[in-house]
Amino acid sequence: MTIRLTRRAVLALPAALALPGLARAQQPVEITVHYAQPFIFKPSYDAITEAFARVEPNIRINYVTSPGYPEGTQLLLRQAATNQLPDLSFQGLNLLRVFAERGIAQDLMPFVTRDGAPAAQGYSEGLLSLGRFSNYQAGLPYAASTAITFLNADLARRAGFDPDNLPTDWDGHIRLAAAVKERAGGADGMWFAWSEWMFQTLVLGHGGRMMTPDERDIAFDGAEGLATLRLHDRYVRETQMPALNANTASQAFAAGRLGAFYWTTAVVRNFIQSVGQGFDFRTLPLPVVAGVPNGTLATGGAAGMMTARDPAKREAAWKFLRFATSPQGQALMAMNSGYVPCNQLAIDDPQYLGAFYRQNPLFQAAVTQMARQAPWFAFPGSNGVRITQAITNNTARVIESKATPEVALADMATEVRRLLPRRS
Amino acid sequence: MSETMALARPRLGAGGEALAGLMLCLPATLAYLLLLLLPTLAAVLLAFTDYELGAPALAWIGLGNFEELLGDQGFRIALRNTLVYVSIVAPVSIAGALALALLIEAAARGRALFRAVFFLPVVSLPVAMATAWQYLLHPTIGPVNAVLAQFGVAGPAWLTSSDTVLLSLAFIGIWEAIGFNLVLFLAGLTAIPRELHQAAEVDGVTSAWERFRLVTWPLLGPTTLFVVTITMIRAVRVFDSVAVLTQGGPNRASEVLLYTMYTEGFTFFRLGYSAAITLVFLAIVLALMLLQTKVLDKRVHYG
Repeated sequence: MTIRLTRRAVLALPAALALPGLARAQQPVEITVHYAQPFIFKPSYDAITEAFARVEPNIRINYVTSPGYPEGTQLLLRQAATNQLPDLSFQGLNLLRVFAERGIAQDLMPFVTRDGAPAAQGYSEGLLSLGRFSNYQAGLPYAASTAITFLNADLARRAGFDPDNLPTDWDGHIRLAAAVKERAGGADGMWFAWSEWMFQTLVLGHGGRMMTPDERDIAFDGAEGLATLRLHDRYVRETQMPALNANTASQAFAAGRLGAFYWTTAVVRNFIQSVGQGFDFRTLPLPVVAGVPNGTLATGGAAGMMTARDPAKREAAWKFLRFATSPQGQALMAMNSGYVPCNQLAIDDPQYLGAFYRQNPLFQAAVTQMARQAPWFAFPGSNGVRITQAITNNTARVIESKATPEVALADMATEVRRLLPRRS
Repeated sequence: MSETMALARPRLGAGGEALAGLMLCLPATLAYLLLLLLPTLAAVLLAFTDYELGAPALAWIGLGNFEELLGDQGFRIALRNTLVYVSIVAPVSIAGALALALLIEAAARGRALFRAVFFLPVVSLPVAMATAWQYLLHPTIGPVNAVLAQFGVAGPAWLTSSDTVLLSLAFIGIWEAIGFNLVLFLAGLTAIPRELHQAAEVDGVTSAWERFRLVTWPLLGPTTLFVVTITMIRAVRVFDSVAVLTQGGPNRASEVLLYTMYTEGFTFFRLGYSAAITLVFLAIVLALMLLQTKVLDKRVHYG
């Protein structure tokens, strides 16, 4: 965790001292903002802070960061217990629920409606639903990510496929990967970044759900969950998917030794840098499940939640959150990360990102599948991280061919049921 | 610590000197109390509570955490993996270091060079080295598998397959430990008087192996004992390579004791449970030290 003053805040200090009249006119407010994953998000927050300081020179922002989303959640929970919360915190979309259930996140709807109808400001219903838990608006989405296809088009061509007309469903992509493995000079066909998030992505893609709507029982142990694990099994058996992890697979892809890599759009910036001019690098939407027109995608990313108690700080924190989620703020976010913007106006109105997407087509794959974004389901209770691990570990058994999809799914269901809160 | 305390004991007619002595060892005593003894005591106490990070209160639950440990599949896997790891790393790195030490000691030239070469892993940064290992052992673009492919062998996914991950980590552990053990053995070897070897030769022990068996090995006893203990303790402590390279995966195949302690405490916030795992770890280390001082010590010191 690091605490630092922004460069602008430091520069603003002597300016404020030199202009006492101006400083008196409007009292400067200092707010503390927390976010996770600085290695991915820092450029976007830096850009937004700089633009925000031009609009609101009297609001100074101190940043606190944590390396990952779970650490960020842990930090805020600890601070909530000791009454040292920051004024604003950006939490992982699937971890927001923890704060909604404990009443730590404040309802943002009163703030949003103060400035008019939500949709008119770009807060569409679909986007708002990503941050709604326990029946209130616990967070405003700041960045959204879905899984996409990272393609080595050179290898696809060598395997006899036309990269401009690739199949769009999983059956086709499995054929592609098998052909790459067989014909593209020893490269591997594909790597699917298996994890709880990707498991959920495929369950939703099959039209299934993680829990029943009333959350009384799990719902992933049926046909959709089985089809999901069978798909994992096919990756291994039909394309000889290598045993890698996200790190080593990224290295293999950058080295041009992997045909297709299915992972989050969040890493597109890092991939552009690591691939360089090495090969014809493209991004495509994630393949769909044939015959399931209503399949959706689990949406990762972050949302800002309000934790300020002091009225002046709360007002300043809202101004920053509103700016960060405004069309202008979201355009800056999208350009300085690989994420999908979370403001409908920033997406629909070409003045914000039109030119950027034309010049940077690799950023566009996730945007084209925006209509299929669905909330990343967060399990109720305090065992969320353990449940995530139980799902990931049982998926690993299928990936390593240590268990059949049927056995792994049954074990997964038993373990997750045991970890869910007991209901009478 | 005990030596410094003994020195500070007042002697006849030297009251001032004793006081000065006491004052001199006060900083070290304070640091020992504050930085080592008190935190250890706090961990021991925490192990009997259900304290969770951020929780407003904690309750005394006696042996509850330890009962849970007995039934915890994850902990059992971690304990088993740690024991497997130690049982590979300790013997191989000790025997390997002894063999290397004998070779270097017998060499006419280049002793300093070899000593430095083999000692390098000990002074290098474990996290940075782990990244280098990740590249070397990369299943598809790593040099190790590229070399294997030259001989027509399809190399395994060293660090990402549950069949080989523990072996690969153990290999890295051996690589780290062998240089340290080598230096200890070299020091032990130089302490053996040359005359004993010459005397043995005069007495008709002509083969090098017999001289090793009858002279070197018995006289190296105290060194070997120390090396065995320190290697085992260091191996039980394995953490950085796991945290950097595998995070305990895939499917817990490389979950080790300290990594479980870390995730329980700092991912799941269960500090009480995490402290209980720490106590188990502490018990293992203490048992190893007792083994050294009580049992084996008597058998390697002569006279």
